[in-house]
Amino acid sequence: MAKRLTIQALKQIICLGMVVIVLAPILLTLFAALKTKADMATTSPLLLPPLERITFENFKEVLTDKYLLIGFRNTGIILVVSLVFNVLFGTITAFIIERFDFFGKKLVVALFFVGMLIPTFVTEIARFRIIQGLHLYNTLGAPIIIYVASDLMQLYIYRQFISGISVALDEAALLDGCSYFGLFIKIIFPLLAPATATVCIIKAITIINDMYIPYLYMPKNTLRTLTTFLMDYANAQQGSWQLLAAGIIVIMVPTILLYIFFQKYILAGVAAGAVKE
Amino acid sequence: MTKLSKKRKQFIVVSLVIPLLLLVGFVVVPALDLLRMSFTNWDGYSPDSDFIGLRNYIAMFQNKDLWLSLKNNAVYFLVHLCMIPVELAFAVLLTGKLRAAKFYKTMVFMPYIINGVAIAYAFSYFFSPVNGAFDAILSGLHLESWIRSWLSDPKIVNFVLAFVSLWRFSGYHVILFMAALQSIPSDIAEAARVDGANAWHLFKYIQVPAIMLMVDFVLFDNIRGALQVFDIPFVMTSGGPGYASSTFTLYTIKTAFSFSNFGLASTMAVAIMIMIVVIYIVQNKLIHGVILREGKK
Repeated sequence: MAKRLTIQALKQIICLGMVVIVLAPILLTLFAALKTKADMATTSPLLLPPLERITFENFKEVLTDKYLLIGFRNTGIILVVSLVFNVLFGTITAFIIERFDFFGKKLVVALFFVGMLIPTFVTEIARFRIIQGLHLYNTLGAPIIIYVASDLMQLYIYRQFISGISVALDEAALLDGCSYFGLFIKIIFPLLAPATATVCIIKAITIINDMYIPYLYMPKNTLRTLTTFLMDYANAQQGSWQLLAAGIIVIMVPTILLYIFFQKYILAGVAAGAVKE
Repeated sequence: MTKLSKKRKQFIVVSLVIPLLLLVGFVVVPALDLLRMSFTNWDGYSPDSDFIGLRNYIAMFQNKDLWLSLKNNAVYFLVHLCMIPVELAFAVLLTGKLRAAKFYKTMVFMPYIINGVAIAYAFSYFFSPVNGAFDAILSGLHLESWIRSWLSDPKIVNFVLAFVSLWRFSGYHVILFMAALQSIPSDIAEAARVDGANAWHLFKYIQVPAIMLMVDFVLFDNIRGALQVFDIPFVMTSGGPGYASSTFTLYTIKTAFSFSNFGLASTMAVAIMIMIVVIYIVQNKLIHGVILREGKK
């Protein structure tokens, strides 16, 4: 009994240590964002300023920047369009690869596998010319088409989920006169919902966090995303950590909110991983 | 191979045509184009370029800054590799009986969901030599003598950046491992327990085999991630001081888009691809060899 309690306490200490490491850089940035320029120099970076000197001016300045709003809008558009196509293509491709034998299957699987091996950043050296040739440079189309065509991690997740769904289900549906598309849309796709939730969250985060593709393909300042907005903002605030800190927190908030809102889908999706007969 | 009905064929062709076209057009063709460009001296804007044989490859092998950058990638790779057992342990810990497990799950994944550029700036502030929080912590512990210029000392800058990378990405692996662990039907674990299996047996004979697919993915993700470290050094140090915290990808990108040497940059990109494939095959062989041998015992 005592041994078990000790182990439990030890586990709690390990986990709490992890929580401290996770929260420290975020909280310390928040402290800085609430300080005046004078307090930045005189108070400890580990502490909040005295309560009566807490200021929201830094946040006010960031939130009234018109390029922040533009960034929100652009990120939103890119995100929604990319996710829809990623889920659609990801589920159906994984379903066909897992469940069907067909001529050239080995080649198709090999191609998708190669697609996962090809590194994203350096491929832009060659992709740059294709995007320019399609007149997608400096348009929202550039990141969208790149996010849909590359980064195929969803295939891993969907294939693992599909291999856990009984083939008996497919056979029964087909015997009942269901078409292949019907089978996919009415039976397989809904069963993949937990995997889809996970895929969407991971993809959404990857896309919102992505700095490089918007930075490379959309230098126009009306095409700022949340992330490239922050980069511009940081360059403009050289040395004013309290203002940059407010910018950092503002850019962090959307993904944190998204996470809190979608978290139950992640956890439910994870828990529903064991798809039984 | 089974005989295909017409409808089946139709379904397969219609469904795969767009994903395949996108894959070929935006991933496979650019990759092949990189290979072609690696033998040319294209500068990124001229209509023409000359075939220069292996000159880029020779220049690449003689480039000291590039080798230095690759060494920096190795730091990220090793630091993350050492973390994988810890990540797996956390996944087992959080899937087991634990008070507040749900809260810890939320926390462990949180760094991954936070904007990478934002966190890079936050850590720049954390490690800043002026009013930096990390130095304040060390002072608080009376360890003033440990204080370094964390982001400009060439000897330690890569470890500081690799720590930021760990902070950001470890939780992702924990969550992937947890997903795989929870895909094990609970009746299997119960049956094993009834048959007298202890926690270690359960881990070794049921949990590990069940998550091999995920271990595969995580190991692979680690290689790809380490070779492609880009945004953390790009934002925090721009690869500096000098090339002390440059990475292979950062150097390649600079060669193309800053120095307008697309030919040489393509050669480097080809090298990254070859490295990824080779390391993947070796790692795969090692892992499967070890696990299969264990299983046969």
